[in-house]
Amino acid sequence: MVRAALTPPRRIGQGPWPLAIYVPAVTVVAASFLAALPIISTSGWYPDFGYLVFISWRLLRADPWPAWWAAPLGFVNDLFTGYPVGFSIALWSATMLVLDLIDRRTLWRDYWIEWVVAAVLIAIDEWLQWRVAETAAGPLPFTAVVPPLVISICVFPAFAWVVSRIDAWRLGR
Amino acid sequence: MATARPGWSRRAQYGLFFSFLAVIAGIIIGLILLAMSLVAPQTFQTVRGAALDITAPVSGALHAVTETTEGVFTGAGNYWDAARQNAELKRQNKAMLQRMVEARAIFQENQQLKATLQLREHERSTIAVGRVVGSSFNSPRRFAILSAGSNDGVAVGMPVRSPEGLVGRIIDVGRLASRVLLVSDRANIVPARLLRNGIPVIAQGRGDGTIDVRPLEVGRNPFRRGDIIVSSGTGGLYPPGVPVARVLKLQGDDAIALPLADPAQISFAIVEPPFEPAAMAALPAATEGP
Repeated sequence: MVRAALTPPRRIGQGPWPLAIYVPAVTVVAASFLAALPIISTSGWYPDFGYLVFISWRLLRADPWPAWWAAPLGFVNDLFTGYPVGFSIALWSATMLVLDLIDRRTLWRDYWIEWVVAAVLIAIDEWLQWRVAETAAGPLPFTAVVPPLVISICVFPAFAWVVSRIDAWRLGR
Repeated sequence: MATARPGWSRRAQYGLFFSFLAVIAGIIIGLILLAMSLVAPQTFQTVRGAALDITAPVSGALHAVTETTEGVFTGAGNYWDAARQNAELKRQNKAMLQRMVEARAIFQENQQLKATLQLREHERSTIAVGRVVGSSFNSPRRFAILSAGSNDGVAVGMPVRSPEGLVGRIIDVGRLASRVLLVSDRANIVPARLLRNGIPVIAQGRGDGTIDVRPLEVGRNPFRRGDIIVSSGTGGLYPPGVPVARVLKLQGDDAIALPLADPAQISFAIVEPPFEPAAMAALPAATEGP
């Protein structure tokens, strides 16, 4: 699908942007960099921006980036957000693998299925964050991560929409 | 890993296979790094410090912008309200003067008592002063980003306070910025006492911006709503007598308290040397979660 879209334009002045293949990865890094926003929260209920953009791209396209890029992208996310180094590397690589397996099984997709898949992935992300925080800092009630989980699931469609707009722009549609 | 069936092309089949291997390698490398950063948090000190140096100046600049915008609005509000505020401030000033005289008398008395007891106190010095420019707003851990780093003499383990109270301690240091483990984080345990009667207590963060305070002695709940908790200096990391939290409500034998230094409200944070320098060396690495 992307390969067809990356072919030279049929109409003059319309077509993929020269660096179109790098746009998805750059937007993921930019989303990770949102951790530099001067938000000082005492509850930590904000979504994991990098991961939301990452799964938005992967659900929209089968190959937004070569699969192994998930590891360096996750490393950048770990450094910017202050997660323990390795957390996003493992999670994001595993996400690429799991979504590939899901792609082989599903016969059709629509918005609702994508949202459910995203919700499950976000839930796994929050649950792992909770486990890691517990390992590093001592017992923490799971109820503490429910509000950020619900918020992340609710804002996912907005991220998916923004990513689909960026995708249309980079392909000159 | 685009399509399930790459066709009969051997090259495409190998490509798919190797991309699978690469992803699995990514997962394994990630898990190894994660285990390392959980077991030995100081492993990635340098690279995390470097990342702080990249993000913190941006946070600082954006923080300055939002602060200016807020300042303009509150400034305009203050202007409208000037007459009433003036009267209020005059009244407060009068009350403060009385309190100051009382405090001076207490201070002198305190000096005399200390002299008779021959208590030695360490000279309290300031290592650096910084602004809180960011936080871990998308994680169950409670960190803040402070705009002072190793260039200012900040090192891992140093306590951070503000005029309002205790903020936390340094866990990551970059050249320009550092990461503070807030008192409201689960991993931060502050030996403290009740200001009212000096009962020793332990303050541990709850991860949601509040602090769990429990008495060292089991028995009757010694807390009352509105009690002030101050650090006791036990352990030598945090200086004694720094206000930590105010009790909000009682819960069984414990109490839930709110930190007095709200990282979202404080304008400056002060990095101090550890109260007893020996505490720096003895600081267990395990409590320093990333």
